[in-house]
Amino acid sequence: MSIVVSEICPAYSTFYGFLGAACALIFANFGSCYGAAKAGVGVCVMGVLHPALIVKSTIPTIMAGILGIYGLIAAIIIEMGIGNQYTLYASFAHLSGGLCVGFSALAAGICIGIVGDAGVRANARQPKLFVGMLLILIFGEALALYGLIVGLIIAMKGQNQSCAVVNP
Amino acid sequence: MSLPTEQPWDGNWLIMVNPFMWAGLGVALSIGSSVLGAGWGIYMTGASLVGNAVKNPRITSKNLISVLFCEALAIYGIILAIIIQNKYASPPYPFQAQDYRAAYANFFAGLIIGMSNVGAGFCVGKLGAAIANADAADSSLFVKCFVMEIFGEAIGLMGVIVAVIVCSSMSFRTD
Repeated sequence: MSIVVSEICPAYSTFYGFLGAACALIFANFGSCYGAAKAGVGVCVMGVLHPALIVKSTIPTIMAGILGIYGLIAAIIIEMGIGNQYTLYASFAHLSGGLCVGFSALAAGICIGIVGDAGVRANARQPKLFVGMLLILIFGEALALYGLIVGLIIAMKGQNQSCAVVNP
Repeated sequence: MSLPTEQPWDGNWLIMVNPFMWAGLGVALSIGSSVLGAGWGIYMTGASLVGNAVKNPRITSKNLISVLFCEALAIYGIILAIIIQNKYASPPYPFQAQDYRAAYANFFAGLIIGMSNVGAGFCVGKLGAAIANADAADSSLFVKCFVMEIFGEAIGLMGVIVAVIVCSSMSFRTD
């Protein structure tokens, strides 16, 4: 018989753990979808007059899609750490990690979308801009990578916690 | 159920809520929000499609694939709703920790798939609208631009993967 509320491993600790996994995936998906949509619209508009550049110009869309994978990785790593013996410490660590990854990927997705949209349209008129656009996109993708690194570091702090109360 | 008096306050409201409400909300969010996202995408794509098809009726049959991709997101929501409602069991009262854990897992599985499909619906819809514009101008562009819509659908698929993993990780007691 497991009791509902204990000091270190309450029953509601999994709420915050799953909330962390959900935030990681949902906000990363929002960022990824916004980036893919905005950059893709630019490609479609540009492709009417310059069809030869379409394949090169799908790079911003692909980079935005990668942000969804960051969210997937973080959500799965957080979810694998949730179990029956789940301390409140671990749950808030997972919540924090999930929020880190999620909001960073959201920001990076908005950035990649707007830069990709403007970049592919400008690249169609001035082909020398391609490398510059790629550099700006890489700096934007790095934002999501920072969030993923920090998020995973703090989410890993929730491992190997035990529910036993140590009486002094 | 008597509330504990000297416990940390930050989570007691979560246990005051019946676990069946969490699980039920998960099922509802899974299908409701997925359909919201799919509808958003379909109306964006559809409006652009019929507008462009006035002068170029040839684009209609090819660009219905974009509408179909948005509908697929709603199908993901239906599948997850069926998976979650299979987990929606009736354990004997009084509730124990495992029931609350399963309830939270069901709720967040539904939230994940629902919100993920809202984002994916926006993405696929906006791309479908742009692709209809491009296809109306030059019919050779459809295949090249459609690759991006597949990326948008893949983003929605990631939500399905995580939602299935989260939902199957915890179960209600069955004794």
